[in-house]
Amino acid sequence: KKMTNDNLNKLLVFCVLFCAQKTSIVHGAQALETKVALLLHAEPENPKCFAEGMSDLTCFWEEDEERAGSADQYSFIYTYQNENSSECSITALPAAGGKRLYFCRLSQTQLFVPLDIRVFRDDLLIHNRSLFIEAVFLLDPPANLTLTSTGMQGQLKASWLPPSLKYMGDSMMYEVSYAMAGSHIGKVEEVQASSELILRGLQSGTKYKVRIRVKLDGISYSGYWSAWTDPVLMETMPGDLDPLIVSLSLIISLVLTLLSLLVLMSHRRFLLKKIWPIIPTPESKFQGLFKVYGGDFQEWLGHSTGGLWLRPTYFYSEEFPVPLEVLSEVSLGPALPSSALPPKASEALGEEEDEDKKLKRVDPALMEGWRKTPQEHWTMDQLRAIHQHPAPWTQSSLLESHDAYVTLNAQNHSVEEPLDDILEETLPLQVLFASGRTSSESRSDLGSVQQSSGSGRLSSQSSFEYPNHTWPSKGPGYTYMAVADSGVSMDYSPMSSNKIDDIGKGVIYTNEYKNEIPAHRRPIGTPIHFAF
Amino acid sequence: LFSGTGPVVVLLTVLQWAGRGLPSPVRPICDPRVLDRFIMEARDTETALRGCKAGCGVTGTFVVPLTNVDFVVWETKDTEEQALEVQSGMSLFGQALGAVRESVSRVAVQILIDNNKSNIHSLGQVLRSLHIQHKEVKQSRVSSLSELLHVHTNFLRGKVRLLLTNAPACQQNST
Repeated sequence: KKMTNDNLNKLLVFCVLFCAQKTSIVHGAQALETKVALLLHAEPENPKCFAEGMSDLTCFWEEDEERAGSADQYSFIYTYQNENSSECSITALPAAGGKRLYFCRLSQTQLFVPLDIRVFRDDLLIHNRSLFIEAVFLLDPPANLTLTSTGMQGQLKASWLPPSLKYMGDSMMYEVSYAMAGSHIGKVEEVQASSELILRGLQSGTKYKVRIRVKLDGISYSGYWSAWTDPVLMETMPGDLDPLIVSLSLIISLVLTLLSLLVLMSHRRFLLKKIWPIIPTPESKFQGLFKVYGGDFQEWLGHSTGGLWLRPTYFYSEEFPVPLEVLSEVSLGPALPSSALPPKASEALGEEEDEDKKLKRVDPALMEGWRKTPQEHWTMDQLRAIHQHPAPWTQSSLLESHDAYVTLNAQNHSVEEPLDDILEETLPLQVLFASGRTSSESRSDLGSVQQSSGSGRLSSQSSFEYPNHTWPSKGPGYTYMAVADSGVSMDYSPMSSNKIDDIGKGVIYTNEYKNEIPAHRRPIGTPIHFAF
Repeated sequence: LFSGTGPVVVLLTVLQWAGRGLPSPVRPICDPRVLDRFIMEARDTETALRGCKAGCGVTGTFVVPLTNVDFVVWETKDTEEQALEVQSGMSLFGQALGAVRESVSRVAVQILIDNNKSNIHSLGQVLRSLHIQHKEVKQSRVSSLSELLHVHTNFLRGKVRLLLTNAPACQQNST
């Protein structure tokens, strides 16, 4: 059992070594293939030779497959200076592209002395070359290429392991190639006798790929550039804000802030109005209402000394009495129908029964209609029409409109009854019934028509009283006036009729009779200040 | 192009160390840059006189040391043996360049030769300080100035450099 175990152990060790060698052989074969390719490109002379270490030399040449012979057809003869020649054994290996490679490898060499190489094929010299072995070094690429951060912006530190060649450490020259990942444009830096290099001037926050190759410096030893190492990637540190950009941004923002503040300050009133509009208050119109009386309007009214709101009667402007119109009666045709009365002349006062009757006969419907019609529609054209048409008055022609007529009777008869001043402020007219009566009174709402007892009587009649009947002819002593009541003032214009035969007797005057609000009745006997 | 005498080089080396702020080693020659400069100057001389017609008027043969370095063999040698080889070689080169100087008529060539001789002298002083006994080493012969200079260059690049790079004296003082 023990022997079996020992055999197994030996077998295991053998297998491990074999596998390791196989791996190294494979790796070595790959490296050789790379170097052959390099030399085929870089060395024009044949055979191409390179030294990998201190005591080796590999030479090879290439021939087309179709013309190639077997390895034993070739002989490789080398001679050091002042020494005898020696021969190297040749190995043939197939190559890509229909080529064959013939190799010769020396394991013991002499440097710093010329070496003559001659290659024969079937005793025919095909290649001849003299070289110094220390001048044909082709090293393996540096191992363990590592990238690290230096802690500073735009920098990377590349470090590697130099080829382990004795006596040559200070003769090695390195070439570091670095570029941004994905870019084909890069930079190259050389460094001598060192095992690290700091790459500067890199962009922040960018991934870079770095690779390196080695070569002897050429003073004591020289050779060819090695193959590039596999690229190593690393990202640089993220960049800080450019201080120039930061400062410019701060300045610009400050300037903009100042400008906006200036604009706001210059238009603050406008902006305040828009954002916080002022609620209008009537305080300026009511002095002291809010400040003194705290908004108590009634109290303020009681103590106010303003001149605008003194008279309550200001509100009753419409109720002011209208001046009385007095007309001199003129005999006309038949009674004219009454037209619509204004609402002011709505009531007739009479002291006699027939007056009352006539009053009663006033059609309430007409009264309604009278109220509705404004007096502005009283047309002077109708009055003029009456002048132009000497035809006897008819009810329709004269009283078809809403005109109000007042007639005055001048009769010589005494007043049987005292005048009743039944003035009402709401009645603009007093109607005096004077048709065929001896007693007729002219009354006004605002004043009394005083009549002298013998001088004659003045009577006024309104067309209001004749809604349905004809205008009675009053006789030659009557003069008619057309009254236009606009509600503010009343305009009087004389009316003349061809039947009026008082032209010779008197002159018709136009007169505006103005009344005033009486405090009491006028005593009888106060003359009337008008004449006709 | 050439710095001139060896002491000047030594002075420059000291100044360089003072500028770097590093502790100066005992032997300035331990700085590889110094030897590199020697090597470059020798190479330049070789290149300049390569096209010289008729060997620049130099005739005769010159005894030169061997320059070949087998690292495997070299590492089996101790520092003293290495130094012996270097010292012997430098001595031979000194003698050869001196004889060449006598034969060269052109002034430009003379200046180049003088420069190389001063470099060799500087190296020889360093080696003599190592108290290495002189010993006969393998030698070779060259028959032209260009060959002589070529061998000289190779010797400096190889054995001299290897010695100075790995000399215990330089290893102890280097930082």
